[in-house]
Order: sequence, then C-alpha cells, then structure tokens
Amino acid sequence: MPAKFDRNDSSVVVIIGSGAGGGTLANELTQKGISSVVLEAGKRIEITDFQNDEDAMFALFTWLDPRTASGSWYVAQTSPDLPAWISKLVGGTTVHWGACALRFQEHEFKTGTRYGAISGANLLDWPLGLKDMEPYYDRAELKMGVTGTHGIPRLPVSNHGKVLFAGAKKMGYTQFLTTNMAINSVPRDGRASCQQTGFCIQGCTFGAKWSTLYTEIPRAEATGKTEIRSESQVLHIEQDQSGKVTGVVYADPTGAIERQKARIVCVAGNAIETPRLLLNSSSNVFPQGLANSSGQVGRNYMKHMTSTVFAVFDKPVHMYRGTAQSGIVMDEARLDTQRGFVGGYQMELLPQGLPSFAQNIVPNAWGRDRAWIVDNYVNVAGVWLIGEDLARETNRVTLHPDRKDKYGLPIPDIHVDDHPNDLAMQKHAIGQADALYKSIGAKRTVHRLPFPSTHNMGTCRMSENPRDGVVNRWGQSHDVKNLFVSDGSQFTSSGGENPTLTIVALAIRQAEYIAEQMSHAAI
Amino acid sequence: MKVFNWTRRFSRRGFLARGAATVAAVAATSGKVLADAQDARTVGPGALKPEQARTLVVFTRDLFPHDQLDDSFYQRAVKPLEDEAAQDGSTKQILALGVAWLDAKAVSVAGRPYAQVGEESKRVAVVTRLKQDPSAPRAFFDKVYSTTIVSLYNQPELWPKFGYEGPSSAKGGYLSRGFNDLNWL
Repeated sequence: MPAKFDRNDSSVVVIIGSGAGGGTLANELTQKGISSVVLEAGKRIEITDFQNDEDAMFALFTWLDPRTASGSWYVAQTSPDLPAWISKLVGGTTVHWGACALRFQEHEFKTGTRYGAISGANLLDWPLGLKDMEPYYDRAELKMGVTGTHGIPRLPVSNHGKVLFAGAKKMGYTQFLTTNMAINSVPRDGRASCQQTGFCIQGCTFGAKWSTLYTEIPRAEATGKTEIRSESQVLHIEQDQSGKVTGVVYADPTGAIERQKARIVCVAGNAIETPRLLLNSSSNVFPQGLANSSGQVGRNYMKHMTSTVFAVFDKPVHMYRGTAQSGIVMDEARLDTQRGFVGGYQMELLPQGLPSFAQNIVPNAWGRDRAWIVDNYVNVAGVWLIGEDLARETNRVTLHPDRKDKYGLPIPDIHVDDHPNDLAMQKHAIGQADALYKSIGAKRTVHRLPFPSTHNMGTCRMSENPRDGVVNRWGQSHDVKNLFVSDGSQFTSSGGENPTLTIVALAIRQAEYIAEQMSHAAI
Repeated sequence: MKVFNWTRRFSRRGFLARGAATVAAVAATSGKVLADAQDARTVGPGALKPEQARTLVVFTRDLFPHDQLDDSFYQRAVKPLEDEAAQDGSTKQILALGVAWLDAKAVSVAGRPYAQVGEESKRVAVVTRLKQDPSAPRAFFDKVYSTTIVSLYNQPELWPKFGYEGPSSAKGGYLSRGFNDLNWL
C-alpha cells in the first residue's frame, strides 16, 4: 500500500515529476528499499478516465500553464503560447507518448568528436557511450515490453504502415518495419495486448502501451515505500549554507505552501520545468540558480528537427485505424554528411484523427484549397520526420522578465533559433518523404512544419567537465552532490531517436548509482 | 466542447485600437452599415441579431467550405460564438464590428451585405481583404476562425462524411475492423 511520510522526514528521496524519468526512478529506488516521495504537479487519473477524444484528452492532461516562445523557430509564430505539447498528470508524458522505443546510435553520444566543430553549435560528447548504456537499454526494453527486442513479437502492419512501406521499397530503402514499440503485441506483464484503437496519444484505454501511470507507479506504491502526492507543484528547492539541498517547497492541492525535507532531490519535470525550477531556486550560494555555476542551466535546449508530410491518394488509407506510430523507415537515420548536414532522421508514422487533422493541417489557412485537403481525409497518409537537433547555447529556457504564474513565479520562455543544420535536414527530410509518397502515386503532398515540441532535451546537460554542463554521467549535479536530474534535461545531444527509452534507461542506471552512493553514505 | 487549436492567436488590444478607425470608415458607406456600426459600439453582452448570426454562418462556410455539409453544421459551429457574445460584451462587440466590416466591404464590392452576396468569389475577395488590410478588424477573423475550426470539426455527426469513424475502444478497436484491410497497393 502507498506510504505516508512525514514532511519533516529528512531520510526520503524527493522525486519531482512522475513521468518516464521520475516514475521509473521511484520504482527502481523503492525496489532497492529506498523510500521516496514523488511530487507531481498534475492530477491523478486512471485508465478509465481516458476517452477516444482528441480535444477532450488534450484539455484533460496537457501542460497548459502559461509559457512563451521566442526566436526564429516556426513554433514561436504558430503556437507562441504553447511551445511544447507535454502532459501534466501522474505518469507525465508517458500517458501521451506514441511509444516508439529506439536506442540512440553510438555516434550520437559522441557528437563533439564525431561531428567536429560546427559554427553556432555547442556540441559536446556525453560522458558515457552506447557500451555503457546497452545493459540499461536491455533492462528498459524488458521493463517496457518493447516489441522487436528480447524475443517480443512486433506489432502487425496497419494500412497506414503498408502505404509507408510500399513507398520506402520504391525508394530503395531497406530498413522499414513496425517500430520497436513499448506497446504489448501480446498480453504481457499483467497488461492487455494492442487492440489497434488508434488513440495511443490520448491515453491507451486498454493499457497496452507502457506508461508509468499504471506500471512503475503502482508497483512502487505496493512496496509501501513510495508516496505519490499529486497536484503538488514544487516551487523551490531549499539549500543549506554548504550548498547541499535539504528539501523542497511546494504548493499542495489546495494551494497551501508545504515543505518536504529530503536526503536527496531528483528533478524530473521535463526539460522546461526542470531548469525553470533550478533557476527559480537561486540562493546566496547559487545566485545564478541552483547548480548553475557553469551557467549552462536552461541552455542547449533541443527539441528535435521535425516536420510532417501528408500525402493525398485517390484511394482510402484510413490512417486513424491502428497503433498510431507503429511504422518506421530508418535508412536516413545514419550519419552521412554527403547529404549536407550532420546527424540523421527517422521517418515515423503519425496519423491524426479528423478533428486535429482539420484543425492543424495548414495553420491559419482558410478557403477551398484547405477544405479540399480535409475533404480527402480518408485518402491521406502521413509521416513524421524526426531528427537530431544541435545544441546551441542561445537556444534556452529562461525566466520570463515580466510574466508570473499563479504562485508568483516567473513563467518560462523557450527561445529557439533554428541552426542551419536543422533547416538543411528538414529540407532533405521533406524532400525524401515527398518523393516516397509520390513514388506510389500520391496526388499531392502537404508539408506541415513543426508541431509544438513533445521531445524536449538538453537544458541540464551531462558533461565530463563541470564547466561544460550541469550534471555528471550519473545525472548528479556537478555542484550539489545530493541533487540529481532524472529526465531528458540530462541529454548532451538529442540523437535522432524518440527520447523516452533513453530517459528510462538513464533512470534505471541512476537508481543503481544512488543506491550505491547511499550505501556507503557518500550522499 | 473544449478546445484545442495550436494556432490560436488573439489580440484584444490590437482589435480595440483598430476598431475605432474601422467604425469611422464603415460609417461612411451605407445607412444599414452605419446602424450596424452604431450597434457594435454598444457595450454589453447580449444575443446577436438574426442577420448577424446569419452572416457568421456564411462567413464560417467561406472559411471552411465543404459542399457536402449543409448549413446546420455551420450553424452549430457558430453557436459557441453566439453563446459567448450573450455572456461577454467584448466578444459581442468583436463580432458585431466584424460583421459590420464584412457588410461594408461587401456593399462596396457587390452592392449588398455579405450574407446576401451570391457569388462566392466576391465574398472570398472580402475575406481576403479582411486578412490583408491592416485596418481590418483582424481580431474578428481570429476569433471566428479559432472558435469555429474547433466547433465545426468536433461534431461527431460530421465525421462519417469525411470517412472518419471516431472512437473505437468501445467497439474493440480496429483489430478486427479493418486496421489492415488496404489492398490497392
């Protein structure tokens, strides 16, 4: 049963956030006998609250607290008050994610040395490599039941996938298949198998998709060593004069201000809220923000190169039927600078239901041409292009100079100026997707430039040298030994792969390190 | 019905600044339009006049023209605007001023108020000016667009007309209902 800890109990690990990083970390720690209090800003709902309704679910669990976007990126023009599409509830964005569970490639951990000096970028090697990560990727895949790994069968190919794969074949691509998905292809781990509902993104009504909401979190609670406090937004991390963190101040569900003491604090609030919280936790020891002696907190924000190409055919596709993202072409994910850019990209299925398709297909457009595209909805296929985004110091999360949230704290601004590499890759990817669909008879393609970012990374990055980043190879702050970052903020580079599997693998690895350090009282 | 539209933008302050100039310009064109404009300046929530609501229906169809949809879909799409105007004076003013602007431009282009202009191309010309003319009440466009793009396409009765089957979980998903039935490739 769930634990209940005293607010003055300074022996607990406080984990901020309950998504891929925080939810996994809580369960991993608790299975090792380490007690934790998880503070989650969002509310707690259950699978039975999920509906096959795009707009209702968007309203129910999207992080809609005020944010601003600035810089030259497309999202700042089209969605200036919603730069990121992530979730606010127990389970975090693992409720919303599409469940593509891909490993990073070796070279993506070593972009500083492999890509060379690139003007306007702030590249750096991770202080670890694929070899270090492999055992943890294995454990993450087994935990999440990733199809195509460890003998777990792949999901079947949907109509939407058939179209993508037929085009891929025509293009001479060879690496296309139903993706490694953290969605049960067969009943497993007490959860049902995929029923091809098509509403993965709205919360899986069958629980076939892995989410910490109904895997890690209840398991952690069942040990009697984890307490989840939902609707509890952390406002400030407290420190003593030595610079160690001692606890957190948070607003409880009634808005009352509470304080929870802690032996260790792990921040997993996603790559926007995590640096915001550190920046909002300045002190006389850390006047630039907690754990920010490097000045890198909030910098190097990466969101992946993305775009979507939709293709209109003259026969039905019914892209909304079936597992949303289960189909991938990986041929362009390689490092091949002959294409005019470093890094690579994946081509992944990304269908939309009629309401969101009609609402978002051509931002701000009206009239007959737009209506024609919507009229042809049933004949449309679409592929999402997702590739590596380069770290830049000036792409960053900062505290807004004027605007405050309901607790009086500055809201975050997300500033991005696209790097020329990002734009070159985007152009290439759109061109290839166009050619792919046209090779099998698409009448027309429509290019949808980036949606608000669901992949957010890099704002408290790992580095070997404390000067270059915020945390070490374990996600431990260079400045504060009992402070950890446990989400995608740690990423030193973005890779060309969806980030969740790597976040989960890092959380498993971090839990081992924390347990080991605690066992000989190093922290 | 609650809402999501990533591209929604709305600047009430910009609207008010431009609104005064618009009213003056509109007032110069015709008696009917003058009455509309005066009405628009009246502060306070309340029901739209039937001809104002009718203009919104025609305007919404011009934004999202689907010949397969009869007017009832557009009437339901406009309903949230009417409801909001009934509660909120500033919304009512935005709508009334916008309708007055459309009517004034339609009178100058086609000699009659917007909803009575039969040729779609002439109404489209008016909407094009609404988007492009710096003195046009842009907040009106944004308000109607961002509301009706949600309230139109979120009508479940509309989905089958576009071949969309909607919620599937209660029917067991698409596992045995055609997720892989494509055979034309």
